[in-house]
Amino acid sequence: MSLLRRTASWPLTLKVPLLVAALVVAVAAVISQVVLSRLAQDQEANLRLLTNAYLDGISAAALPAVGRADVWEAFDALDRARSQYAGVEARYAIIALPNSTVLAASDPLRFPVQSTIPSDLQQHFPAADGLAIDSELGRAWLSRTLRQGDSSVGRILAEIDIADLLRVRHQVLMTLILVNGALAVAFALIGYFALKRMVQPLGVLTRYVENVRDGRVEAIPDQHGRRLSSEFKHLFDRFNSMARALNERETLASHLAEQERYAMLGKLASGMAHEVNNPLGGMLNAIDTIQAHGDDPAVLQKSLEFLKRGLAGIRNVVRAALVTHKGGSNASVLTPGDLDDLPFLVQHETGVRHLTLDWRNRIVEPVAIEGPAVRQIALNLLLNACTASPLRGRVFAEAASDDRALRIVVADEGQGLPAELARMLEEPAAIVAPPEGMSGLGLWTCVRLVKRLGGNIRVIRPATGTEIVVTIPFATEERLHAVA
Amino acid sequence: MQSAVRERDAPRCITTRRYFLQGAAAAAAMSRLSSARAAETISFGLTPVFLDSDVELLAMLEKYLTRQLGQPVQLVKRRTYQEITAMLLSGQLDAAWICDDPYVQYEDKLALLAVPLYHNRPLYQTYIVVHESVKAQSFDEIRGTIHAFSDPDSTSGYLITRYLLALRNTTPAAFFKDSFFTYGHRNVVRAVASGLGQSGSIDGYVWDVMSEREPELIKRTRIVYRSEWLGFPPVVGLQTARDTSISKAFAAALLGMSADSLGREILSVLALDGFTSATPDLYESTMEKWRVVKAQV
Repeated sequence: MSLLRRTASWPLTLKVPLLVAALVVAVAAVISQVVLSRLAQDQEANLRLLTNAYLDGISAAALPAVGRADVWEAFDALDRARSQYAGVEARYAIIALPNSTVLAASDPLRFPVQSTIPSDLQQHFPAADGLAIDSELGRAWLSRTLRQGDSSVGRILAEIDIADLLRVRHQVLMTLILVNGALAVAFALIGYFALKRMVQPLGVLTRYVENVRDGRVEAIPDQHGRRLSSEFKHLFDRFNSMARALNERETLASHLAEQERYAMLGKLASGMAHEVNNPLGGMLNAIDTIQAHGDDPAVLQKSLEFLKRGLAGIRNVVRAALVTHKGGSNASVLTPGDLDDLPFLVQHETGVRHLTLDWRNRIVEPVAIEGPAVRQIALNLLLNACTASPLRGRVFAEAASDDRALRIVVADEGQGLPAELARMLEEPAAIVAPPEGMSGLGLWTCVRLVKRLGGNIRVIRPATGTEIVVTIPFATEERLHAVA
Repeated sequence: MQSAVRERDAPRCITTRRYFLQGAAAAAAMSRLSSARAAETISFGLTPVFLDSDVELLAMLEKYLTRQLGQPVQLVKRRTYQEITAMLLSGQLDAAWICDDPYVQYEDKLALLAVPLYHNRPLYQTYIVVHESVKAQSFDEIRGTIHAFSDPDSTSGYLITRYLLALRNTTPAAFFKDSFFTYGHRNVVRAVASGLGQSGSIDGYVWDVMSEREPELIKRTRIVYRSEWLGFPPVVGLQTARDTSISKAFAAALLGMSADSLGREILSVLALDGFTSATPDLYESTMEKWRVVKAQV
């Protein structure tokens, strides 16, 4: 079973040729068996014919001599038969008298006249007239009773060397093995190359599907579509249709993201107006105070400082909005300052919900990473955390870096991120469009940006709320260039 | 098998002889018949006294005799000496190359036409040979072996061994474990070389020639006994026909063989030097041995 499981994972280009070779070998084995069996039958039939002719010849020549117990004539018949019967290689032949003594033998030294035929030798010969074959020993034993009228006057016994027949069988077997082996290998090779050529489009398709997984959706160029079988042509067409659809969705998604940015800006603008409006009343009061009591240096100084603080707050808010909208001066570098003003952008949200924002920017020097994108990621996560947090809750945010990557942690005390959104954050590979029913595009935009920057998002579920950890590697020269 | 040999021992020769003695009355008529058919085919009987297995040799011999005699000559072969002897004595053959044993048996009925010269002498020996694995070094040491004889009417292939046994007051059945006839000297060599027989009685001339021509066969045999020199198997005709033109022409053809190119070719194949005329006393030694054997049975 484990072998079956292992082979199940083998490539088709290996499995099919091996299967073909195995089938050829199996068929060859059956055919070989049939051929050899038939050959053995034919050889045995021929051997019977030849040995019958041999025995007939000796019988005719020796019978009169056996009747007279004529040693020489019996021997002469055997001796002359030695070279007269092609295909019958008699190792010895004996003419035995009814008392099992030798009248004459072709090998008189082994079977002297009047000697008794050894019993261990006699057992090889068939009791009745006929042929007994022992393929393992490569021998056949013949027996023929010599009769005058109804009386037996003796027997002809002969041992035949059938090594040549067995050699022919062996040669046929070897030939079958060689030919069938060569055929099996040839079929396997032909199958391998043919199948490799046939499934080549699958490799192309697999490569382009892999590209999709890596976020690059490209249609398969026409050059790969030439000389395709109808099945693969149809498959390529379907893939290209899918690629086009995905690209359209990507374009749409980009538009959506852009709109989201504007929506966020609108939201920021609304918050910003609120943030600007708040100090404006105080500032107008300060102006009124200056106008009324401007002569008093202390009042004047105090009012001016109030105005300065108010204007500085407005400047911070406006600058943050501008940076968010237009981007920083150097898009390829993230400076500590790029993240410092984020609390200003969310102060409206924190203010409305009376949240406590624990913001820790631990970045102390510029890092090679796309600043505006990181800023948008952090801002979206903060806004999302604020939205998810209960009234008077606490939002924790931290930005830090080590030698290789930037890490942004945003935690809230909300109900917890829904599983579907968490999965979207952690497994962004197949996400090209916002999940259905998603209310905002903030998290989805985060996912797209992190994916673009080559980073990843991890969602931690503490006892309360959600902690989102974004890790973004520092850009190499090539990646910076590519991203720019 | 031994009983079969016994049946073929000397009594059978006597029986055979009696058979032909009964036919002796017809001898004169046969002679007349033989001389009257000058233009007919002449029959020449052959026995395995020489290397008769060479078909080309037989063709050459037939061609040579036909040419020399001016008449067609037919070579007649039979498996046993007895058959050829019977055919000769019954007038079915004009001449025959027979063993010296049948000649001495029917000396009074047969006339010597020519005798081969082997090493320039009309003599040959009997060899007793054994298989290379047999340790026997003398005739007496082959006791208990299975013995291969050539022919019951062969001097070298049977009579001499039988004679040696008679001198020892024994018989083949008692002396040998078993014995059999091969009806050919070459077959004796085959039988002993293969081990079918551990010992054998063979014409020394045949063994010598085979040792040059078939050394692989001969080297598996070893001579343990050589007999005295005996008269070489002769070419004979019927005594009653000895003065006929055919017999004379036949003798002349054989005696002149060494002067003829085809004849020399034949002699070369036979490993003989030629033919010579001889008198019956050449076979005195054979006759003596036959008598000894005859006396035993």
